[in-house]
Amino acid sequence: MNSKVTNRIALSVIVLCAAAMATILISMLGYILVKGLSSISWHFLTTSASPFMPGGGIKDQLWNSFYVLFITMLLTVPIGVCGGIYLAEYAKPGKVTSFIRTCVEVLASLPSIVVGMFGLLLFVNYFGFKYSVLSGALALTVFNLPVIVRVTEDGFRALPRHQKEGGLALGMTHWHTIKTILLPAAFPSILTGIILSAGRVFGESAALLFTAGLSTPDLNFGNWNPLAPNSPLNLFRSAETLSVHIWSVNTGGIMPDVDTIANGSAAVLVICVLIFNLFARMLGKIINQKFSGK
Amino acid sequence: MIEMKNNIVSFANNTVTQKRPVQLSVEHVNIFYGENHAVKDVTIPIHEKSITALIGPSGCGKSTFLRTINRMNDLIPSARCEGTISYKAVNILNPKVDVVQLRKEIGMVFQQPNPFPKSISENIQLPLRFAGVRSKKVLKQVTEDCLKQVGLWDEVKDRLDRSATSLSGGQQQRLCIARALALKPDVILLDEPTSALDPVSSAKIEELLLELKTSYTIVIVTHNMQQAARIADYTAFFYQGELVEFGTTKTLFTTPEKKSTADYISGRFG
Repeated sequence: MNSKVTNRIALSVIVLCAAAMATILISMLGYILVKGLSSISWHFLTTSASPFMPGGGIKDQLWNSFYVLFITMLLTVPIGVCGGIYLAEYAKPGKVTSFIRTCVEVLASLPSIVVGMFGLLLFVNYFGFKYSVLSGALALTVFNLPVIVRVTEDGFRALPRHQKEGGLALGMTHWHTIKTILLPAAFPSILTGIILSAGRVFGESAALLFTAGLSTPDLNFGNWNPLAPNSPLNLFRSAETLSVHIWSVNTGGIMPDVDTIANGSAAVLVICVLIFNLFARMLGKIINQKFSGK
Repeated sequence: MIEMKNNIVSFANNTVTQKRPVQLSVEHVNIFYGENHAVKDVTIPIHEKSITALIGPSGCGKSTFLRTINRMNDLIPSARCEGTISYKAVNILNPKVDVVQLRKEIGMVFQQPNPFPKSISENIQLPLRFAGVRSKKVLKQVTEDCLKQVGLWDEVKDRLDRSATSLSGGQQQRLCIARALALKPDVILLDEPTSALDPVSSAKIEELLLELKTSYTIVIVTHNMQQAARIADYTAFFYQGELVEFGTTKTLFTTPEKKSTADYISGRFG
């Protein structure tokens, strides 16, 4: 066959595949938004869910999703970033290091339902945290930590080696080189990775079914004492998140407007994740410019 | 390959007739990468306030040797080093030597210009601040002095807060030299500093090195034999990990003792 013809065939196949991919994604996104946007209203976002009457909202679920996400990030980011820096900068190549790296990879691809069951056994039962924000956040930490470690390690490894040598050759210690040169240079990619993983955590349901629970106590948004049982900030209350809510109304909801609620919730979820992603890109770009001078 | 006639090479700075004191005395240095014996039993004096060039074909161990002088090879886990390099009566290969302090006194400039992705002034001030300089006035003054020393001041004085990566390759390399000078080292090691640059920028760096050697000891690895001939007072020829010949540049280029040196500088191999 003529090499020009091969070239043309290859191009058409690639274009076709790309088009198929784009069509699937866009139509799915479109379907969710078209079906869901109509049910989103201020009332929908600011009303608590009603168990069997129509007209319930998703206020508590939305709050729970963000709160669980926040606690998860509070736990994972410091540990994950430090772990990633260790693997990229300090760990000596050898059996132990490659074993740790394999563990991180396996953990990153663990099915989330398995993480949920693990969380049920360890955090909910063994530690006695019950179905709670804390149990959910800890389970999501197991789920998210390897991702942050990977993102950080990759961010550091992507830096040119001569940056590090430059710092060391100027009489700076290894830590100072990491702190003042490598971390700022890797920061935009690490931050982007963190925000993208936040999107994943935000949409996670299976890991939360058995850890954060399927219900939310009557929250009093005027009570910000984290020890009060009805406070939104209480770590030891159960907390149904938005994605768990979608699952639970679809499988066992008895309110007449189940479809509207599910569609609306799905759209809100997708829009939040979309905002995370756009935000990640924007912030990465701004910070990159800021750190590297104008 | 370059057909170089020895008699047409000018030795602009071989005006150094009397020997300068030895700053670094290298004795029986052996360097290994795992099983690979990369540098074999090298003994060589490095004279104060002069330029010593290390030449030789790729993979001859010259860069490895250079990187040992300020212990940059410590970064490579499999690298191992034997022998002594005496500097101020201390063997700098001793594991107990404080490498951070050592690298302040023996600075290094790399093949690829490696300014930090920060502003021009920050590139010079960052290592200074780590070294304990706090006064803003001093920092500003040193920045200006160092940039003037490398002839970069007039080119960048209006954009010191711009990113160093916006400079041209030659400017970046001069900034890297300025950054090394800011720490007031005794010795500056340069690993093929002009091989990534265009001829005009290279010439500027060569001129700069000739000026700098009045106050600093300079060791330069170069692929370019004419460059060694133009700027170096002493030249060492490395081949397959061994130091074949060392002497004043003039002697080495005009009356080499060994046949392989003669072959290399006349362009018969390498």
